[in-house]
Parts: sequence; C-alpha cells; structure tokens
Amino acid sequence: MGATPIPGARVRPGLLAALLCLPLTTAAAQTHLVVISGLGGETRYRERFHEWAVTLLDAATKTHGIPEGNTIYLAERPALAPQRIHDRSTKANVERVLREVGEQAGTASQVFIVLIGHGSARDGVPKLNLPGPDLTAHDLAAALSGYRTSTLVVVNLASASGDFIPILSGPNRTVITATKSGRERNETRFGTYFVQSIATDAGDVDHDGHVSLLEAFTYARTEVARSYEQEGTLLTEHALLDDNGDKVGSHEPDPSGADGAIARTLVFGGPSAARRGDPSGAQDPVLATLSRTKQSLERAIAALQQEKQRMAPDEYEQRLEDLLLQLASTNRKIREREEQIP
Amino acid sequence: MRTSITPPLRFVGLVFVCLVSACTSRGHAQATLDEAHTMVQGGDYAAGIAAYRSLLARDASWQAAHGLAQALQATGQYQEAASMLRAHIADSITNARQLFTTLGETLRALGEHTQAEDAFQRAVTSGARDRLTARVSLAELRFERGGDERDVAMATFDEFIDIYNRGEARSSADLAAVARAVQYLGRRNPQLFRDALRAYDEAIAADSGNLDARVALGTLFLQKYNGADATHMFQSVLADNPNHPGARLGMALAKHFDGSSEAFGLTERSIEINPNFVAARAFLARLYIDLEDYPRAVAQAERALAVNPQAVDALAMLAAASLLVDDRAGFTRARDRALTTDPEGATFFIALAEVCARNRLYRRAVDFANHAVERDSLAWRGLAVRGLNRLRVAEMAEGRRDLERAFAGDPYDVWTKNTLDLLDVVDGYRTTRSDRFEFVLDPKEADLIALYLEPLAEAAYDSLSAHYGFRPPTPIRVEVYPRHADFSVRTMGLVGLGALGVSFGQVVAMDAPSARPPGQFHWGSTLWHELAHTFHMERSRYRVPRWFTEGLAVFEERRARPGWGDEVTPSFLVAFRQGRLAPVSDLNQGFMRPAYPEQVIFSYYQASLVFEMIEAEQGWDAILRMLDAYRDGASTPQVFRTILDIEPTDLDRRFNRYLERRFAAGLAALRHGNGAADGGGGGGAAPPSPEALARRARADTTDFLVQLGYGRWLFGQGQYQEALPPLERARELFPEYVGPDSPSWYLGRIYQAEGRLDLAARELAGLTARNAKHLPALRSLVEVEEARGPGQDPSVARALEALMHVYPYDIGLHEKLAGVYRTLGEGERAIRERRAVLALEPVDRAGALYQLARELQLGGRPAAARRAVLEALETAPNYQDALDLLVELQAGRGPGES
Repeated sequence: MGATPIPGARVRPGLLAALLCLPLTTAAAQTHLVVISGLGGETRYRERFHEWAVTLLDAATKTHGIPEGNTIYLAERPALAPQRIHDRSTKANVERVLREVGEQAGTASQVFIVLIGHGSARDGVPKLNLPGPDLTAHDLAAALSGYRTSTLVVVNLASASGDFIPILSGPNRTVITATKSGRERNETRFGTYFVQSIATDAGDVDHDGHVSLLEAFTYARTEVARSYEQEGTLLTEHALLDDNGDKVGSHEPDPSGADGAIARTLVFGGPSAARRGDPSGAQDPVLATLSRTKQSLERAIAALQQEKQRMAPDEYEQRLEDLLLQLASTNRKIREREEQIP
Repeated sequence: MRTSITPPLRFVGLVFVCLVSACTSRGHAQATLDEAHTMVQGGDYAAGIAAYRSLLARDASWQAAHGLAQALQATGQYQEAASMLRAHIADSITNARQLFTTLGETLRALGEHTQAEDAFQRAVTSGARDRLTARVSLAELRFERGGDERDVAMATFDEFIDIYNRGEARSSADLAAVARAVQYLGRRNPQLFRDALRAYDEAIAADSGNLDARVALGTLFLQKYNGADATHMFQSVLADNPNHPGARLGMALAKHFDGSSEAFGLTERSIEINPNFVAARAFLARLYIDLEDYPRAVAQAERALAVNPQAVDALAMLAAASLLVDDRAGFTRARDRALTTDPEGATFFIALAEVCARNRLYRRAVDFANHAVERDSLAWRGLAVRGLNRLRVAEMAEGRRDLERAFAGDPYDVWTKNTLDLLDVVDGYRTTRSDRFEFVLDPKEADLIALYLEPLAEAAYDSLSAHYGFRPPTPIRVEVYPRHADFSVRTMGLVGLGALGVSFGQVVAMDAPSARPPGQFHWGSTLWHELAHTFHMERSRYRVPRWFTEGLAVFEERRARPGWGDEVTPSFLVAFRQGRLAPVSDLNQGFMRPAYPEQVIFSYYQASLVFEMIEAEQGWDAILRMLDAYRDGASTPQVFRTILDIEPTDLDRRFNRYLERRFAAGLAALRHGNGAADGGGGGGAAPPSPEALARRARADTTDFLVQLGYGRWLFGQGQYQEALPPLERARELFPEYVGPDSPSWYLGRIYQAEGRLDLAARELAGLTARNAKHLPALRSLVEVEEARGPGQDPSVARALEALMHVYPYDIGLHEKLAGVYRTLGEGERAIRERRAVLALEPVDRAGALYQLARELQLGGRPAAARRAVLEALETAPNYQDALDLLVELQAGRGPGES
C-alpha cells in the first residue's frame, strides 16, 4: 500500500510525486500534522511564520517520527518555499484539507493542527486572518466536526486566539491558544518558544526522551513570561490550554487540576514516538519483565512522593535513593537487552 | 458620646442675600471698598493699601480699617496694622467691635499673646460678626499654654460641633473657624479630620474668595502627607492671588515634601511679599539646616523671633542649628524659651526630631520624638516620627509598634500608612545572615541575589574597614526591594524617590536589580556606595555633611572595582568650563539646592574628584582626619582650614586647576560644544544636517562632539569603514569618555561586525574596564571573546562576572559562566553559577539540578551533590544522566554512608 494523497487536495505535481514515494503508513495509530500559516502582512512576520512552520515540520518528521506524508503545510505565499508549502492557505483550501485529513485519519490516530498568523476577534467572532476570507473559529469547528480520531490537538499560535477555546473545546480534544482572549491582540511570542520546545529537547523537563504537549506548553508559557520580565514590560499574552472539554482554558494547567492530565500524555510524535524507549509492548519476554519492573518502580516513587510531607527528610531521601538506584539498574538492563536484540 | 458634624448647611443662601443687600446700601464708598478688596485679593497689596488708606481718610469705616489691616498683615506690617486698629477702636469708629478679631490676630502674629487674648475676648463678648474666629483663636492660645488650659481649650473646640450642628456657623469665616476647631479634636478622634476637611470645603463653597481657608485646607492636606491635593489647593490660590504669602509658603512646603529644591525659591518669594512672615522664616531656617548652612539658619530663625519672640517653630530651628554646631548653651536657651511658650513642647521636639532625621542623626531623632511622646500622649506625629526613625536604626519591632499606635491615633497620615503597608510586605521577605550582615530579600529572588550580595557586602566591609581603620558595629541590615516604590516608601514614606539606595548607618535599603530596566543601574557599586556611607557616618558619629559622604562614597566605588563609580561626561566638563559647577566650598548646594536638574548628578562626580585630588596631594590620611574633624563638630570651612590648611576659596581655585589638568585633553576637545553628546546641556538646538556635519568634521578635527557625531551618523548608515576615522579621532580627543555612546562602543561594534575580533575585544575590554555598567558592551565583549576561541575564557569570565553586578537575570549567561568556570577549574564559582541558574526557576529544573549536582560532585561535595541529584530525579525519575550520577555517587560512598 502506498502513501495516500489526500483526496481532492490541490497538491502540486512535484509534491504529489514525493508523497507517492513515501514509506507505507497505515491509517491506524498514525499522527497527522497540519500547519496553516495565515496572512503575514509584513515581510518580517511572513518570514517568522514560515520559520516556525518549517522548524515544526522538520522536527515532526526528523525528530518525532511523523511520516512526511502525514504532514501538510499551507501558507500565504507558496512561492516562498515551493518545496515545502503544499498550497495557499485560503479558507477553501484549509477547510478542504482538514476534511480530507479527518477522513483519512483513523479513530486511533492523532491529528495535530497548528495555526500560525495574526488573529482577531472583531464583533466577537474569533478568527485567523487568511488570504481572502478569514477562517473563523466556527469555520474551524465545522471543518473538524466529522473527526473520529481519539486525539485531536489544535494549537493556535496567533494573536487574539483565546476565544477559539470555547468554540473548539470538546471530548478527545486538546486546544492550546497563545492568548487568553480576543482582546490580547499584540504580536505573540508564544509560538517562538512552543516551536522551540518541540524542535529541541528544551521542553523535555522530565528528561524521559520526549516532549509532551503539557511540557511544550509549560516551557513556552514560562519563557514568554521571562522574556517580558527581562524587558521590564507588562505581559500582554497569557496562553491557555484546555484538555478536559469544559470550554475553559488553564494558564497554568496541572494534571491534578482541571486541565493538563491529557496533555501530559500526548506526545508530539504520537503514540509511536512515545513508545520509543518504552519496551512495555515488546515481544521479548525479558524486556517485557524489565518493563513491568520499571513501571512498578515508577509507581513506587510516585507513591513515596505522596508520603513526603509525612516523613522525616533523611528517611524520605534514603528510600527515594533506594528506589532510584533500582530504577537505574533496571534501565541499564533494558538498554543492555535492547542492544542484544537484533 | 458626641457625634460628628451633621450635614448640611442651611443658611448659606440667606447669608449671601444679607451680604448683597449690605453692599448695595453703601453706595460710592462701598464701590471703592470693593475695588480695594479686589486689589488685595488679587495680590496687589500696595495698591490695595493705598486705596484703603484713602478710604479711611475720607470716611473711616470699620470695613476699610479691617481691609487695610488684612493687607498690612499679608505684607508683614503687623505693628502698623495693630496701631491703626487700636487707633480706630480708640476713636470709637462705628461698629469698632468688628475689628477686635483682626487686632487679636495681628497681636498673635507678634507674639503678644496676652493682648491678643484680650482682643479676642472683646470680639466674643461684643458679639462681633467674626466672634467664632475669635473664639477658636482664644482656644488655640489656651491649647498652646498646655496643662489644664489645654482641657479647657479642647472643651471649647468641642462646642464648635454643636455650633455647626445648630447651623450657627453661617459665613465662610465661621465655617473655617469650625474647621480649625475640629482639626484639634482630630487628636482624640481621627475621624474628625474628615469633618475638618468638610468644614473647610463648605467654607470655600460659601466664599471661594476666602483664600486663607483654602490655604488652611492645603496645609491640612500637607499635615497628612497628601502632597498632591495640597499642591492642587495652593496652586488654585496662587492662580487667584499669585502673591499670597501663605500659598507661596504652602507650595514651598509641598515642594520640600516632594524632595524638590524649588522649596527654597518659593519660600524666598513668600518672604519677599511678607518679610516678617514668621512661619516662612522658620521654614527657610529649616532649609538652610538641610544645606548645613547653620549661620544662615540661625539668622533666619532670629529674624522670625524678632517679629514673634514666642514662635515655637523658629525656636525649634534655632535649637536645631545650635545642636548641629555643638552649641549646647544656645540649644538650651532656645529650648527653654520654647518650653516657656509651649510647656507641653511636643511641637518643638517633633520639629527637632524631623530636622535630626534629615541630617542623618537618626538616634537623636528617636530621642527627641520620645520627648514629644512623653509630653503629649496624643502627639501621633511624634509617635510616627519615633517609629520611622526606629526603623532606620534597625529597631524593627519597636518601630512597628510605634507606627501602629500612631496609625490608630491618626489613620490619615499617609507616611505612616505607607510604611505599615511596606512592613507587611517585608514580613514576607526572607532574612539571611552572613558574618557582618543581615539581608532582607524578596523570596522570589532571594536565592539569586544572595549569591552575589553576601560575598560583595562582606568584601566591602573588609575593604572599607581596612581603609577607614575601624569596624562599624554589626550586623548591618541590608534591605533589597524589587519594587522601586517599596524602596521609596522605606526611605521617605512615599513613592517617587529617584535614588537607588540609601544608608541610614546600621540599615541600608536599595533597589534590587529587578527594580529597574536591565542596564539602568549597577547594583554592585550601589551597595558599595551605601556601605561606604555607613562607614562615613559611623566614623564621624553621623556628623559628616552630605556633599562629603556622597563624594567619598563615589570615590570608594572607583576604588572597589575597575569601571565602578561615575565617569566623566562631556556635559560635566562643559558645565565646569561654563562655571556652572557648585564651588567645592559650597558643594552642598549642588545636592540640596541645584541650580539646574543635572547639577545633582554633576555634584556626585565633582565631589568624588575632590577626594581624588585631596588623596593625591595630601594623602588618604587627610581625608580620615577630615572625617574626624566633622565628628568633633567642625564646620566645612573649619575642616578645610585646619586639616587641609587652606582657605575655602583657595580650595575652590585649587580644585579648578586640578580639573583643568586632569581633563586637559577633554576640555580642549570640547571648547566649542555644549556637551550634547551625552544628552546633557544640549539646549534643544536642531542637529546639523549630515552634509554640514561631514563638512565640519573635515574642517575641524579637534572638536570631539563633531567627530563623535559624524562617526555615529556614519555608523547609523552602516558606513562602517567611513565611520572609523572620525570615531578613532573622537576617542583620541577625549579618551576618558566611556559613556553609553562613547567612541569605543561604536568602534567595538564595527570591529565585531567586520570580524576583526582582536580589535573588537581590545576596544570593548578597554571600555568596560572603565565603565562596568555598560551592559551592551559587556554582552558584546562576551560574544567577541567567545568567537575568539577557548583561550579567551578568563576574559569571558571577567565580562560575565561584571555583567552579573548589572543584570543577573539571564539564565543563559549564568549557564555560560558556569561552563567557563568549569573549564578554568574554578569549582566554587561554577557551583555558584549553577545555583544561580536554579534560582532563576528554569523550566528544566531537573536539568539545572543535575548540573549543580555534577558540579558539587566535582567540587568534592558528594553529600550536597546527592541531595541535588535526588531532587532532580524527584521531578524526572527516568533522567538517565541523573540516574547515572546517583549510581556514581553511591559507588563513591562507603557502606552505610548516606
């Protein structure tokens, strides 16, 4: 089975050929990435948006294992990078591409949609500025209404994007916006740091080898705040994350609170990326046993942390150290075993 | 219990109607009276006085006599006013009873209290129209006598509430009398201050021409430290009468309250109108004390006392000036006189305490405020002054207790309220200690700031102890405020202070580096500067003059580290050349009464150069002996004569010659300029066109500003090669100039952009070695040295280390410095930098902890390394590098060790 071009998508001939040559991918458990870059307005914005998009796409395919055939990039001026940009980011193209991806993606798939550009919320209608008619949050919601995927992630890096959350929020959906409302209309910095966290390991704060959506969000939010603080200026953007479908985003999501529990489990590259370095599903029985031991130790560490306040510091440290040393030993055995398996 | 005033007034309309009918019945004479009144109301006192006199000559009416008396009072002709009033009363002028109150006020201004009381009493018993004013004045005189009389006075004041509530206070003057009475009642029930305010408002609403009521309301605002409303009120009076002496003095007080040197001029203008204005003379004496010009202060106080020998405010200034020159007999005489007039003496002692605090004698301020509080348990201001000064001598708990009591007694004192609010903030601060210091830091940045603050403070203590040959008592408390407004409140009770730091001796308060935009101040040299003040104050027993300690502190900054302290600017040299620097013999003027805005900044640098010269010519020991001479009570001229063996004016000349030699090149290169290159003294002239600039630069290669201006313009155009010659020439012409737009900065950037890294490094290193607060240059130097390769690590470390004293909040730079120190084998400093990274709360906290643990391990501190790596793994249990380190650390421990 070859890579399936998106039915009806206006893909340039050269690119179509490239897509046809991509490795086999199955509809099940796939990750799809759609990057939509709107109107730049000025050269500097156009270039910045393109840089964000390309960095994200490169990280997706080269670092996070998303097949190139599962990525789509629509932008204001395809001529800027004909090899990278699939088509112009008109409202019609966006809606068509989103419908096609939704049809192609299986229920077990993850779909990441990243919106880049300038947003607005005139007359209370949140929208992303595109060449031609703008894309409203309601247009986007309509285009995504048929999605059956288990995971749909919409990241809106545009200014004035906050009001997308109440419209897009729902079950199995994680929505991230660069601002908390349509009133935060200034140019945003959130995108710079969000893309950076995905493209590098800067966002991998638990050092488990991959960047969860929650980590990426937290990294970007923190660095945005720091950059404003260092300039001595007031913070004019407050990013939000909603993953519990309650239509209300959190600026500081916490897995033990309203939002964050699902975003913590979502990895940009999707389930396959998350499994790298995690042999729990391995066929090898030794690896499977080691994996269970590792998981058991991780649970024990988490349980010990819950007890921390009730324990003497020395005792806590000693028990934590014991568990961590066991975990270190188990991880080493896993690595050794993986090296033995051809 | 008596309730407060109930609203509203019912008789205002009726009173107005009565006045109108009275006026219209007088015919021609009344019209002239109106004209005379208008003249006086508008501030044309001479014309008003002439008009009134003419009126009196034609037809002696009590209105003309009253108007004339008020005009004479406004211009300080109290004796003449009293004689005139007495004469008309003696002549049984019609309705002479209407003159008693004015006579009483005139006599009171002359300190003739017994006769004044008699006049007031006659006004009351005769049923004069202004009998309420007379009654409140009588009560005020009784109040001032203290003892049992004070209770009688308070009972009288209390009656004014009933008077008001019964609607008997009808005219604007009556309502102002109510306001005065209620203001006294505010001592016992602070809510009544609001009623006083309302009564003044009503008095002004009843007659907006009652300028004295408006001035009194402004003064009430000022007493509660509400400078903005006070200023507004005084300004409104001056708009109607630009010569109102009370409003001019009020403005002066408001300006003084705001820390503006305009207070001087305004007070002097008030005295121009009324040369016998006792309150203005007393305030001028206070301003001269601020200038440490005690002879002039005494002269002003004595002129006030010549008018009114019982003026307590003037006696307080006389006592203060005597105290500050160690004239104990003079102090005792003034004190005894004040206590004869006002036996309670709270006002006198509060004024003394305030003067002492402004002259850095904080302990004495506490003692005097204590006298005030002991003599008058309702002296809330005294309690507040004691509390504020206790906070300055590090008696934090006692100070807070005083302020809380003062606030309970008078919740409208803004200074007290602000300070209590600040103490609530400081309650949340973290206190850490080092050998000689106690640091009070905002917990949000305590971990970061303490890393640099503690060693620097300790180093400063050691260095300054060695230099001054003694060790001040410890611990010294250092408070660091991330909000400049909090620092400002700590210093002067209000927001708006422009300073960066302050030393009270045992307590130092300063802005945190985060309180200002990056690069705007060098917190390291600020700390050193403030600690230098502590040494100067302690060694001189708090007698060192302002100019001396400021200049010597800047001098100490320059001694501390290369590039610290102020640097010479073109505008400073131009000011010197134009004779606009204050003479050394009168340098306090430059700080306390600057002739132009930049003079304060110039005076800091100028004063530091005075010490540079003295050290060079007479040795450091001379400076120490000067401090000791101040300690022993010598004045600045005496110190110059006895220690430096020079007359003050000769010192002025010698200093000028020193500057001419020291900055010969710069002065020559600035002979045409106005100093605009550094933004000072530019005069607002339009900049020349590029073509004109180019022509001038080619025509005259000896003008620094032209060469620099042309070079900068070319740089801005990206014409780097063309910019090099004028910039290099500018640097050659005025090599000492290392300000933000110095030739070296542009040259460094050009060399960097062109990849001529050795030249760039030399230029930027030279610049930052003489100006360590040039943040962009420090950053560029780091980039350049890194680009030059690993062999430049020591230079990178130096630049980054310097940078941390300007702006320590960049995580990336701390990581870089940690790496450089690791390479250089400076483990402890690498650990410090890793701690700094952690203190800045990086997103990757586990990574930062791991790096710290690794550094601690390398530094031979395995136990600390274990704790750090465990903390990292708490967040990230599968962090492989950290797990490996834990295993390594465990392997390095013996069995059973933890």
